[in-house]
Amino acid sequence: MSGVRVMVVDDHPMWRQGVARDLAEAGHQVVAVCGEGRQAIRVVAAARPDVVVLDLQLPDISGVEVIRGLRAARPEVRVLMLSASGEQQGVLDAVKAGATGYLLKSAALAEFLEAVRRTAAGEPVFTPGLAGLVLGEYRRLAAAGQGAAAGTADAAPRLTDRETEVLRLVAKGMSYRQIAERLGLSHRTVQNHVQNTLGKLQLHNRVELTRYAIERGLDD
Amino acid sequence: MTHVPAPGAFEVPLWRAVAVFRVASLAYVCVVLIRDADRYAHPFAAGALVLVMAVWTSVTAVGYANPARRGWPLLLADLGIVVAILVATPWVMGRPALAAGLPTLPVAWLSGPVLAWAVSGGRRRGTIAALVLGATDLSTRGVVTPSAFNGAILMLLAGVVVGHVARLTVTAGERLQRAIELEAATRERERLARDIHDSVLQVLALVQRRGARLDGEAGELARLAGEQEAALRALISGAGPVPAGAPDVPEDLRALLGRYASATVSLSVPATPVSLPPAVARELAAAAGAALDNAARHGGGRAWVLVEDEGSAVTVSIRDEGPGFPPGRLDQAAAQGRLGVAQAIRGRLADLGGTARISSTPDAGTEVELTVPRRQA
Repeated sequence: MSGVRVMVVDDHPMWRQGVARDLAEAGHQVVAVCGEGRQAIRVVAAARPDVVVLDLQLPDISGVEVIRGLRAARPEVRVLMLSASGEQQGVLDAVKAGATGYLLKSAALAEFLEAVRRTAAGEPVFTPGLAGLVLGEYRRLAAAGQGAAAGTADAAPRLTDRETEVLRLVAKGMSYRQIAERLGLSHRTVQNHVQNTLGKLQLHNRVELTRYAIERGLDD
Repeated sequence: MTHVPAPGAFEVPLWRAVAVFRVASLAYVCVVLIRDADRYAHPFAAGALVLVMAVWTSVTAVGYANPARRGWPLLLADLGIVVAILVATPWVMGRPALAAGLPTLPVAWLSGPVLAWAVSGGRRRGTIAALVLGATDLSTRGVVTPSAFNGAILMLLAGVVVGHVARLTVTAGERLQRAIELEAATRERERLARDIHDSVLQVLALVQRRGARLDGEAGELARLAGEQEAALRALISGAGPVPAGAPDVPEDLRALLGRYASATVSLSVPATPVSLPPAVARELAAAAGAALDNAARHGGGRAWVLVEDEGSAVTVSIRDEGPGFPPGRLDQAAAQGRLGVAQAIRGRLADLGGTARISSTPDAGTEVELTVPRRQA
């Protein structure tokens, strides 16, 4: 595979050009560059990127809205979020909306290029910070779901013990290779565990949204 | 819109209420004068006395309206003049009128200073003024009728109650003001955070990124930019300012740990606040800080902090990739009487009713896990 088709969405012109140049130098194909979320949603179908590198804080619409719009217009697209501030709730919401990767803008260039490659290959890109957020979200859902919807179909999603163990190690800064070594698992298995933690959260989010839409629809 | 009231602004309605009371009670004094004047010993002197009361009512209304004049001179003068009027009253009315059970000339008007003292200084001052005026009133009458005694008791109660309510109002007002100031500070911080995100953070991240492959001085500048970027990010992503002097308000552990985040220390936290009693939160953060210091000293490289809120307990894990140490070395050190950082951390956690688990393998770094149980409130 020679290069990934990438679209860069960022409102900061210097940053946008810098990222586009870095990607081009690394042999990727920058198919579109946008400064606004609505514009990105409009052009994504025509530009046909594999990966969208998305700044989480855009001037016009929220990161969650951009991700929903992008995925509606081009379901197979993968979203790698970048954030300058590491704003926590925003990152978590974006992941629940379907982003599969997250990096701070301060990440090194090699780290960024590796993240683009892995996002294109369908692997989740977790920072330790994101793993901490996801762990926290599962605990929050479990605490909120206790008593209320226990045992019903839309009960809070749960992590297996192994998934929790893996996610904790990611949050403590260990690489997949180190985790695989410590737990005596294959690299691929560790990756699958991480992917499952995201998948369950995104599925739960979609179920919640659908239920909300149905309730609203029936009420209206 | 935030409007921060001036200090003392919460007393203004109370002082207005006192002025209104004085005017209304003066009106009643006039009614009593017109009804009973023909039975007084010196009706014209009574008229003059009511005139003095009217003048004093206006003086106090204007005087107390200004916070700068609400001090002791006016309060003492207020009490003194009303005492003087009370002392003059028996002569003006004459013994027969008093003995016949007519109300004394100032009737309820004499409570004015009691209310003023109560509003200015709370229950205690209200009580003192009520006792002075009550004693003067009862002693100058010569005969103590049950209704006169009731009047004195009611005045005393008014002094206590108004004083109490005045204090409550002022305290509530001050709390409101602190809350408004806190809100304003939080808004300002959010505004700053947005601005910093839009400009400074982006540029610093860019400088660090593009400069990272340069050698020498430029590379060093890029590294410095990266450090500042991490420090600034930690600063603006922290929770709001902690109100000073609030020992029972739970603190967010995330905000306390935020100050340790840097280019080399990564902080992983939940998206929702991790609230702990302030003393516990500070001790836990200090223990984590000690573990990080140790990691920086011996580990030398990067460190990672993970905060987990399990509901019944809060766990903070600190990991570094330093040289580590062989198992058993900690116990060995303790046995030799060398109480190092590890023991200090364990001590802090034991004081909180929690545990500290420290594990290390040579060449694979050190992991410290601090767990504190959450007491049910």
